[in-house]
Amino acid sequence: MKTISRIEKETRKRKILVVDDERINRLLLGKILEEEYELLFASNGREALDIIKSEYKTLSIILLDLLMPVMNGFELLEALEAEKRYKNIPVIVLTSEHNAEIRSLQIGAVDFIPKPYDMPEVIRARVKRSIKLAEENTVLNAVENDSLTGLYNREFFFEYAKDLDMYHNELEKDAIVVNINRFHLVNELYGHSAGNDLLRAVADSVRTLLREYIGLACRCDSDTFYLYLEHSADPSEIAGRLISDIAGRSGLSDVSVRIGIYESCDRSLTMEQRIDRAAIACNTCRSSYSSSYAFYDNELHEKELFCEKLVRDTDKALAEGQFVVHYQPKFNIEGDKPRLSSAEALIRWMHPEHGRISPGVFIPLFEENGLIQKLDRYVWNEAAKAVAEWKKNYGITLPVSVNVSRVDMYDPGLEDELLKIVSSNGLSPRDLLLEITESAYSGNSGQMIEVIGKLREDGFMIEMDDFGSGYSSLNMLSSMPIDILKLDMGFVRKICESDKDKRLVEIILEIADFLSVPVIAEGVEKEEQYLLLKSMGCNVIQGYYFSKPLPPENLGMWLARTK
Amino acid sequence: MITIEKLKDFGADTDEGLARCLNDESFYLMLVQSAITFEQIDRLCEQTSVGDLDGAFETSHALKGVYANLSLTPLYQLVYELTEQLRNRKNIDYGPLTAKLRERMEQLQASAQ
Repeated sequence: MKTISRIEKETRKRKILVVDDERINRLLLGKILEEEYELLFASNGREALDIIKSEYKTLSIILLDLLMPVMNGFELLEALEAEKRYKNIPVIVLTSEHNAEIRSLQIGAVDFIPKPYDMPEVIRARVKRSIKLAEENTVLNAVENDSLTGLYNREFFFEYAKDLDMYHNELEKDAIVVNINRFHLVNELYGHSAGNDLLRAVADSVRTLLREYIGLACRCDSDTFYLYLEHSADPSEIAGRLISDIAGRSGLSDVSVRIGIYESCDRSLTMEQRIDRAAIACNTCRSSYSSSYAFYDNELHEKELFCEKLVRDTDKALAEGQFVVHYQPKFNIEGDKPRLSSAEALIRWMHPEHGRISPGVFIPLFEENGLIQKLDRYVWNEAAKAVAEWKKNYGITLPVSVNVSRVDMYDPGLEDELLKIVSSNGLSPRDLLLEITESAYSGNSGQMIEVIGKLREDGFMIEMDDFGSGYSSLNMLSSMPIDILKLDMGFVRKICESDKDKRLVEIILEIADFLSVPVIAEGVEKEEQYLLLKSMGCNVIQGYYFSKPLPPENLGMWLARTK
Repeated sequence: MITIEKLKDFGADTDEGLARCLNDESFYLMLVQSAITFEQIDRLCEQTSVGDLDGAFETSHALKGVYANLSLTPLYQLVYELTEQLRNRKNIDYGPLTAKLRERMEQLQASAQ
């Protein structure tokens, strides 16, 4: 659909400003052009500039004499070049001087009409052609440029970056990605106009760089900028300059950027891949509160690719049962002899290609992209089946604790889902212990209290996992409905070597005592750890000292022996 | 009143001048009529006599453009010569050239009356 301005442009007479100090020359040009164009006249550069200030949006071309009083044609050309809004108005110089022709073309004129004037047809043709070229150029600019910053848009950036390689094949290139940290907050806190100013400031900084280095840049995805530059001996210097220049131009004290650099791009990669590598580097910048930069490194990329592959393989792995749930027994040590009291479900990924993958690799990844919910449900079902199987085969009910991730807590279907799983396996909620990591409580504690309260009402027992590793306040602990505290493994590991850790465990045990909840210590590997914890009043022990995680059938055999 | 014939007699290339004016005779003659003035010639004489060569160059350059566009060849030739000398800011006696220019303009003015 045509826009209104486009329709107007197609139907209205184009407007021409004739600037000449000689009235006769103005009249003559007027005579030649008046039939096809709307004409404005000025007798010197100063008058012309006043007209341009008010008419620049609708001026199609300026016909400019050079030698004039008050302000000559060269001075006007320079004034037009210096003002961004006027730059796109084409200027044809009217002159009889050959030297002036060259100089005027150099400072921005698009063409010249010699004096004495050519035949009218020639003048009309030259004017028409210059207007057409300028309008086509404007259309092209509108298509290839980001209207806010004037930099290329993404599509043309990639196109011209390839051209840059073609014309400067001898130069190595660096790909750079600049991203504004927490840009949405700038818009929210200072308004969209300030956000736009910031984007323009970044673009100006980038343009400053482009004056020194062969290259090009674009704005992409709101607050991200791509640069493709000739390789610099010290790209950190470029990053540092961009950071300080942007900070200086933005005028906002709390604005920061992160910059990713992929230097000396591998030419066998596509342009998109080169920028991707700079973007990967950009994503590794940790802080979102201060400006920083990072270089792409291949190892990092391999890791990222591996993670991406794992994510892609997940659905298939769940369908094919590549995830294997093992169970680590927990022993109650309150009596004379340790007594098997429950187990914890622990997951492994037996990947057909990569072998056994540790949960330390895929759990954080799944937590990031939400896949953890699928995995949790898988484990809940497997664990419930295992408990039911043991119950059926050995007549013993061994509760199993399963992980409930933070994101599950926001799922309105959580309660129903868990109840369905236990009932469909002929179990009671007491048979599935729910482990919620301490850090999950620190988010929306009001919501947590509500969800956990409901689950407890249903009969589920709640274990606060990794206690001591998060930032629970004592105040929160007193109001949080929990049934068991699970001591963070870090304390247990050093409990015999460090008095400080030993003292901390004592304090935690005192807190648990105050709250009237039992404490589980996991990661117990040595007898001395076990004995110490027992002497300190710890209730339940889990760790290699007693047993490594076992496949369900092995734990079943253990239960058979117990029986 | 100036006519095409009188201009031809004066030595103007009226075909070229008319063509530039889309062969609109009355428009062309109106422009020529307005060019028949001593205002700028007087200024040029003044500027050359006091040695204001920059100003004189600007004036003669402007006149050159007008006479060329109107194809007033005898005036154009004189003013062209003046402009070239003034372009190099030559410190010569411009009196004879400006006198000739005045004389030619007087001639044109006389034929226009």
